[in-house]
Amino acid sequence: MLPCTGRIDESLLLKSFENGADGVMVVGCLEGDCHYVNGNIRARARVQRVYEILGQIAIGPERVRMYNLSAGEGAKFAAFTTEFYQKIKELGPSPITIARQSKPREVPVS
Amino acid sequence: MTVHPDKVFAPTGAVLIIGGGISGMQSALDLAGSGFKVYLVEQSPAIGGKMAQLDKTFPTNDCSMCIVSPKLVEVGRHRNIELLTYTDVLGVDGEAGAFTARIKRKARYVDVDACTGCGLCELVCPVTCASWFPESWQDGATPKLRARDKHIIRAKAPIEPTTCASWTFTVDAEKCASCGLCYRACLQGAVSWHKKEPAVIDQNRCTGCGACFAVCPEKFSAVTVTAGEDLDKSLGAALYARSRTIIKQRGESGRKDCIRCGLCTLMCTKVMGIGALTMVEEGIEAGRDICQVCGACASLCPVGFLDIAELTTKTVRPLLDEFNEGLNRKKPVNILYPQAVPRVPVIDEASCVHLNTGFCGTCRTVCGVGAIDYRQQEKEECIEIGSVIFSPGIEVFNPRLRGEFGYGIHQNVVTSIEFERLLSASGPTSGVVRRPGDNRHPKKIAWIQCVGSRDSSRGRDYCSSVCCMYAAKEAYIAREHDAAIEPTIFFIDMRAHGKNFDAYIDRAVDHQIRFVRAMISRVYEDPVSGDLELRYIDEQGGRQIERFDMVVLSVGIQVPEHTKQLAATLGIELDRFGFAKTNGFTPLAASRPGIFVSGAINGPKDIPETVSEASGAALAASAHLATARGTLLSEEILPQEKILEPDEALRIGVFVCHCGSNISSVVDVAEVTEYARTLPHVVYADHPLYTCSQDSQETMKELIEEHNLNRVVVAACSPSTHEPLFMSTLRQAGMNQYFFDMANIRDQCSWVHPQEPEEATAKAKRLMRMAVANAVEAEPLTELEFGVDDNLLVIGGGVAGMNAALEAVKQGFGVYLVEEREQLGGQTRKLKKSWDGQDFAPYLNALVEEIEAHDKIRVLTHSVVVEQSGFVGSFESEIMTPSGGGRRIKHGATLVATGAHEYRPGLYGLDSRDEVMTQTDFETAMVENPERSASWHHIVMVQCVGSRCEEHLSYCSRICCNQAVKNSLRMRELNPGTRIDVLYRDMRCYGLSELDYRRARMAGVNFIRFAVDERPPHIDTDSAQLSVRVYDPSIRREVELRPDILVLSTGMAVNEVDDLATMLRVPRNDNGFFIEAHAKLRPVDLPSEGIFLAGTAHGPKNVTETIAQAQAAVGRAATILANKKLKLSGVFSVVDPANCAVCLTCVRACPYGVPVINQEHTAYINPALCQGCGICVAECPAKTISLGRFNDKNIGAKLASYQDRQPVKEVLDG
Repeated sequence: MLPCTGRIDESLLLKSFENGADGVMVVGCLEGDCHYVNGNIRARARVQRVYEILGQIAIGPERVRMYNLSAGEGAKFAAFTTEFYQKIKELGPSPITIARQSKPREVPVS
Repeated sequence: MTVHPDKVFAPTGAVLIIGGGISGMQSALDLAGSGFKVYLVEQSPAIGGKMAQLDKTFPTNDCSMCIVSPKLVEVGRHRNIELLTYTDVLGVDGEAGAFTARIKRKARYVDVDACTGCGLCELVCPVTCASWFPESWQDGATPKLRARDKHIIRAKAPIEPTTCASWTFTVDAEKCASCGLCYRACLQGAVSWHKKEPAVIDQNRCTGCGACFAVCPEKFSAVTVTAGEDLDKSLGAALYARSRTIIKQRGESGRKDCIRCGLCTLMCTKVMGIGALTMVEEGIEAGRDICQVCGACASLCPVGFLDIAELTTKTVRPLLDEFNEGLNRKKPVNILYPQAVPRVPVIDEASCVHLNTGFCGTCRTVCGVGAIDYRQQEKEECIEIGSVIFSPGIEVFNPRLRGEFGYGIHQNVVTSIEFERLLSASGPTSGVVRRPGDNRHPKKIAWIQCVGSRDSSRGRDYCSSVCCMYAAKEAYIAREHDAAIEPTIFFIDMRAHGKNFDAYIDRAVDHQIRFVRAMISRVYEDPVSGDLELRYIDEQGGRQIERFDMVVLSVGIQVPEHTKQLAATLGIELDRFGFAKTNGFTPLAASRPGIFVSGAINGPKDIPETVSEASGAALAASAHLATARGTLLSEEILPQEKILEPDEALRIGVFVCHCGSNISSVVDVAEVTEYARTLPHVVYADHPLYTCSQDSQETMKELIEEHNLNRVVVAACSPSTHEPLFMSTLRQAGMNQYFFDMANIRDQCSWVHPQEPEEATAKAKRLMRMAVANAVEAEPLTELEFGVDDNLLVIGGGVAGMNAALEAVKQGFGVYLVEEREQLGGQTRKLKKSWDGQDFAPYLNALVEEIEAHDKIRVLTHSVVVEQSGFVGSFESEIMTPSGGGRRIKHGATLVATGAHEYRPGLYGLDSRDEVMTQTDFETAMVENPERSASWHHIVMVQCVGSRCEEHLSYCSRICCNQAVKNSLRMRELNPGTRIDVLYRDMRCYGLSELDYRRARMAGVNFIRFAVDERPPHIDTDSAQLSVRVYDPSIRREVELRPDILVLSTGMAVNEVDDLATMLRVPRNDNGFFIEAHAKLRPVDLPSEGIFLAGTAHGPKNVTETIAQAQAAVGRAATILANKKLKLSGVFSVVDPANCAVCLTCVRACPYGVPVINQEHTAYINPALCQGCGICVAECPAKTISLGRFNDKNIGAKLASYQDRQPVKEVLDG
């Protein structure tokens, strides 16, 4: 939980993938309804950049997505989450996860 | 000679607020924030009022609950607000400054202080209907009932023994009278019995249905039951638990046929004491004459087999949930709504079985904190206060009084407030729009406006002010929920008179909402389909019949009868509709001194106006109590904060909450706790039943001490409601309150995954683990304190500025009143008479005189504010005075009241022909030149000249319709023979001004509507004779008018204040009006803290509204100025100058313009101005900005601990 999606930067999103996430959802206020004026618009741009980076490094751009919701839309949140989960399930584990599983921790490197 | 001082009178520094809606809440917060003790009395069980029932709010479509619930929490937690819910005011004695109020605290049967709001009581309560309690039961005697009218509800299939019997029934041989009843009752053949021998139950055949137990006569009580879940609590609780178990085992898809589980029989016989139900071979036998129709059997039935209507000959009276407008059911023990404050149920005396017969009592046995108290009694108390704010709110019109619309007869006709609940995500349909008749998704929905408004035949002559907008909003939101919906709004005049309202209506039109100007005469129902047929005359005069799936009645608002009675008790005068009588120059003072009115009791109004009045009433109510400010407040005494040693080991304590059974029924809290103990640095972990209860908080303090904890993690409910509580407990225990984190394992875990307990437990572990990881990284934060200057800078010396100045000095603050022109008075100098017939000139002169005489008001005319620096509480401004010199002043808050003026577009010969004038010119001429005005025999007024159009003013100026009506009436009085035609688009005579509009029509003023797009009037002002040709829809032909004069309603344009706005860094909208911090709930605050707004600089409004808003703005400013010191949240952005490259990224990124480059040539963020969003932290390329609890290391720790393994860093480095 963050004060605003505007607090998120690209490095945090990428770090999530480093830490083994197969997909990352960013959920902010409805556009035009940001509690902090325009934080969600900035977040949208950052998510877009990460989307491009993920494409470039062959992890898959669809693994990150931003959603906008109001606080009263629990059912919609559940629907979005299910939708995103299904998408990630189709994509399978992220290449980082696969690489890590095939390279167990004990394997000494250098 | 001795001077006798006046009687020393010390007023009471407390205020009673009657009504806990948004008005009462805002008044309470403002008063408590400016040093007064507040008693907030609410007759219903919780505060929130009508606003809590709304789904969204116009014109921003903000979610109503989202914006009101933080206020609810704030009111509920405020030290100086004493919430008295479920309380009536019986009377107020004494006089202003020293009142005594008598109040009656109704019996709630729940201890408000002990209750944690877990809702378990409501969950297990089996009762769903208002019972017909047995007549033969009186004075506590409950003779056994014998059924005569027996009826069998037949099961479809033969006996299917339930297999989930965890209950064991045995016969106590010593007590058994060997009557054989149990033998005959058992359908499984599990009881063996021989005469004169005790019965024996064969445990292998027993299914645990309890038929034997139910039938065994009370005097023997030989059959006993053991080993069932929750049996230690009560049989009622155990039956509930067993019902849940059966449902869980059978799944939702189980067929709706009797499984002979015996729950209904046991409930009816052993819990309710009725004994109307017996299990028989064919099904369930019901004694229909003795059934009390409480609904317990049906609510418990795990297969949905029982229908209560079949079990009885009496009328079934389901308990309707009034918060959801009766659209769904409730229990006798009920929390008003999920976000209610206080979140404490009330037990309904009329329907609770225990309170009426002494049976049941299940809720008490499940309450983990012993909060249920059936013996509670109502009690009367007296409270001492200095003034009273009366803000009781409104109710909606009873649509049954307009029988032609068929409300209550046609199922698919609903009221607008019901529709509001249907739209709400927390409403009875979870926000899915369904029509009540058949639960079908409606496609065509019609809104009928003015139901119970503008209707003299029903005694509702006034306009309810809000219905046009809420109908547009409901239609808009309905389409957002379901794009297939086709809304049509049938209206008379579209009264979109508020700020940004017209733009909203335009958006609604773009959103495919159809607006039809027509009055509906009748609604017919097709009895087969339930569809509704509307008949009306369209604008061309054609008869139309149109079918709709659903009809929403836009019901007006009215003052409830009980409010009128209460007003009579308080001794305040009301008008014939029940609205408070006030004076146009003191709009918030009721007729009895010391009592103030706010909100819709003061005439119909919307939320921002109500909130604004509430702040104004708070100010007015405290003006005569200023000397008693701070005398009745309670201060919290805190221990010295412990400072951690640099090398001190981390000692984390973890509390995993059961939340009654809200969490523990799904999540294995013991397992989560056990897991917590294995995490690094965790030295203590436990799982309290209620972590938030008063005693748990005390225990937490002791545990912090005992285990020397330096971090605390609570895995429980929502941080937005409970984090402040836990943090203050930490602080009371001497810890820094930011050494804390919370994991929400209820709302975000157990509530959303009730069917997956194992996964939910795993998720709870993860959430808790992440919170612990974050706590490891937590840092102590300091809440800065700074001094406050108690001077107010008022910019603008019109009616708003002058009233603000006078109000501020009454509160004991100093004032600098800066006016650009030479004279105080502003636009009102040009006006003559107020809407209630009072002269402006003497009023203004009195204000000026009083201001000039007051030594704490320093008036600076012909001056402008050229610079402002500093922040809330300590601003410094430079004022350019006539001498040309700059004067620097210090002040704690700023009030902008720069006003507006009458717009003068160069249209229709205005300013070039004498016979063409504005409404203000006309008013002046009537007063100053009666001879000339007597020569006018025909006057044409044209509304919206240069308003609501793209070339001039795009908005509605709100006041012009009323001005035209007022001036017409005046003219008719002066010269009754004069013909007046008013050409209008919509007559926006909102609220009580509708009465004048009606009066004008009755007086013979002719109103002609024109459609600006289709047939605008042709106005010829070039010829010698003025001529106006216009299509008159009422006679459906064009008429030519040849008036003596043409009066133009030209609207209001804001005064140019570009420099000021830039200097104060406050935003303005496209029309130049200032944008308030929040359109609904902070209508007089500007987005920069400590700067407030009043009068027409905010938007067009009349003098009375301006005065009320000026009071509101000072009321808000008082929450700053009245404090010697202000405290800030510890969460704000800090720039580490070491790495700052002065790239200005933060300066550009901050939505509030807070970061600046300071004299040391690095970026600097003023903590007092920082809003804590963290945008700059994310943007800073040098990563040199930190934000309290939301730094990269905090978020990184959470991300790294998301998976149950060591941080990834080691792997990658390895």
